[in-house]
Parts: sequence; structure tokens; C-alpha cells
Amino acid sequence: MTRASCTTPASTQDLLAYWLHELDGSQESRLDEHLFACAACSERLRTIVSVGAAIRNELLSGDFGFVLPAAFISRLKDSGLHVREYHLEPGGSVNCTVTPEDELVVAHMRAPLRDVRRLDLLVEDSAAGSMRVNDVAFDPAAGGVTMVPSVAFLRTLRNERQRVRLVAVDGVEERVIADYTFNHYPS
Amino acid sequence: MFSLERAISYAPPMGFEALDANDDAAVARRIIGCAPARDTAAEAEICRRLGPRIRLYGLKHLRSEAAAADLMQDVLVMVLQKLRDGAVRDPEQIASFVLGTARQMVIDGRRSGRRRVRILEAFPVDLTPADEEAPEPLDTKRLGRCLSALPERERAVLVLTFYDDRSADAVAAELGLSAGNVRVIRHRGLERLRGCMETAGGDA
Repeated sequence: MTRASCTTPASTQDLLAYWLHELDGSQESRLDEHLFACAACSERLRTIVSVGAAIRNELLSGDFGFVLPAAFISRLKDSGLHVREYHLEPGGSVNCTVTPEDELVVAHMRAPLRDVRRLDLLVEDSAAGSMRVNDVAFDPAAGGVTMVPSVAFLRTLRNERQRVRLVAVDGVEERVIADYTFNHYPS
Repeated sequence: MFSLERAISYAPPMGFEALDANDDAAVARRIIGCAPARDTAAEAEICRRLGPRIRLYGLKHLRSEAAAADLMQDVLVMVLQKLRDGAVRDPEQIASFVLGTARQMVIDGRRSGRRRVRILEAFPVDLTPADEEAPEPLDTKRLGRCLSALPERERAVLVLTFYDDRSADAVAAELGLSAGNVRVIRHRGLERLRGCMETAGGDA
């Protein structure tokens, strides 16, 4: 194929769907053909794949915090990752730490989320100050959310207290659903 | 020892710079036209062009860097030999021929070590590797900054998608969303990430 004949470059959505096995057999075969004939689209897919690998590495680096489903954390553990877990009920508090062998530290915070449409996290930290995480991804049926703080940040802490509040947002109205207290101590 | 790893990663040999980026057929024709003699520059060029695409196909279907690298090597060895032997009837369809070879190897193979040894023994190749040209690395620091600046929902969907390459259906099931919604968030997140990566300083 010459450059001139590549008049229909694959869309990013199609490339991603191809990579994630979301296409049916005939769609996948067509894209296989196109990618073998078109260096430009093949290069774009390679870029998407390398960005995906970098995102995976960012999670494992522990440099950033995330809010992720509990089922995902289970898969991480099943894959051999060393995960320190804390479970909290609404209003609960926990003494917590991070040890050298911990690759991730997670907090499973139970909360009634059935009628919640948008959920924000308010974090007040005696070391880092306050921050708000808007519109976290959550399953209302899951009965809670799982916070994955930055392990790199946790390792810098000594004795600190962090308060986390889950806030349901509906238009301009907000209500606190539950709050949790983390008393961090160095390992 | 034959090293496709190096052969595919170097700059185009003399005489190939002017070719269209996708004009694989012209290179295939040169190899066929030179047979039974060897046009090593053209052979190296076809490896440089097609190697990454075969490796990508292998990654997609075998989900293993090592298996994809093996597949790339085996397919290129086979294709070069077929070109030299005049067994590729239509060089204009070289891409389809390579895809067919790769597809068959993945289907058959499931790629035992014995099969690889047989291929490499049957088709000895001794390309001379040229100077390596390192691929442009991803700026992971910037990517980290850009990822941290994404809205939390988009970050979560991207992490869930790419950590173990999960489909929109699978991610949707974990988040209580529709698959369509996940695709929209995923696409928006990737586009925002791309825009941020292209911005000096990496501000989303």
C-alpha cells in the first residue's frame, strides 16, 4: 500500500477496540490487514500500546493516588502484588502504616452509595493540607469505595492524621455520606 | 548471529530514503529482482519496515513480549526466504503475505521451541546488522504529570483498561457503568492525555 492509498486511517477508538479484543472477527481481520499495510496506523497503535504500558507502570510506581474498585485490588493481589489493606465502616478510624515490602496500600471504605449519582472525596491531611477529588468512579451497588493513596507519599509520613469524607453531589446540593480517620504511624 | 532486533531498528540503507513510508512493495520487488543473488540492503529494509508490525500483531495475539519477538523473527526469516525463492507471486500484496504468514504461525504454532529451531535451521539468514537507532522513548515523567492531572474518573478508567488490557464491557462491570459510557470516558481520557503530552510542561 502506498501512502496515497491510506485515505481511511483507523480511528483511535477502533485501534483501541482492536487492541482490547472488542471487535468481531471480520472487523478484526480487516484491521489486521490495514495495520500490516499501513505503517502510519501501525505506529499509532504502537504509541497507544506504549502509553498503556506506561499507565500500568505509573500505578505500580506508587507515585500517585487512585480510587479503584475492590475487585481490581483483588486481581492485583492475585497477580502477586503485596497489598496492605484496611477496612473501615462509616465513622471508623484505623491506625495504619506502610512497610518496605508493601507495593500498594489500600483503604476499603464502606458507605451506602445506592442513591448517589456523583461522589467526591474530601481529604484533610495534617501533613499535606486539604484536597478534593471530584467525581470518582464507583459502583453504587458495591457498598463502598477503595482508595489507593500514593505509597511514595505515605513513606514520607511520620505520625500524621488524615480525615477522608465521602460527599454525594447532586446538582448544587452536597451531603456527607461518611467520614473516616486514618492515624498513620511510621513502620 | 542473525539479529532482527537490530536489523529493524536502524535507519534506512542508502537508496531507500526516497521511498514512500508505506511502499513495502518496492522493497519486495528489489529482493525478488536480485534473486538468486542477495540484496542485503533491501532485505534489511524490509525487516525494518515490517518487523514492528509483526511484533505488534504478535503482542496483540500472544500477549507476550518474548513470544511476539520470536514471532517477528520467524515470520521475517520465512518471508525473506520466500521472496528470494520467488514464491511471493505478487509483491504488491507483500503486506497481506506477511500477515498471512504471521496468522498461520500463530494458529499453528502455538509456537513450540522445536518449531522455532526447525524454521531457523531451514532458513538460515545472516543479515549484517547496522548501527542501532533507538526508538523515541516515551517521556514517562511527563506522562505521570499528565495522568495525575486527569479527572479522577478518567484516570480510573484508563488504569482499569490498561493494567491488564480489559475491554469496555469488563471495566463497565466493575464500575457499574455501561460499556458505551466507559468507551466515551476512555477515549476522552486518552485524548486529554495526548493533548497534555504534546503541551510543553505536560499540563492537562
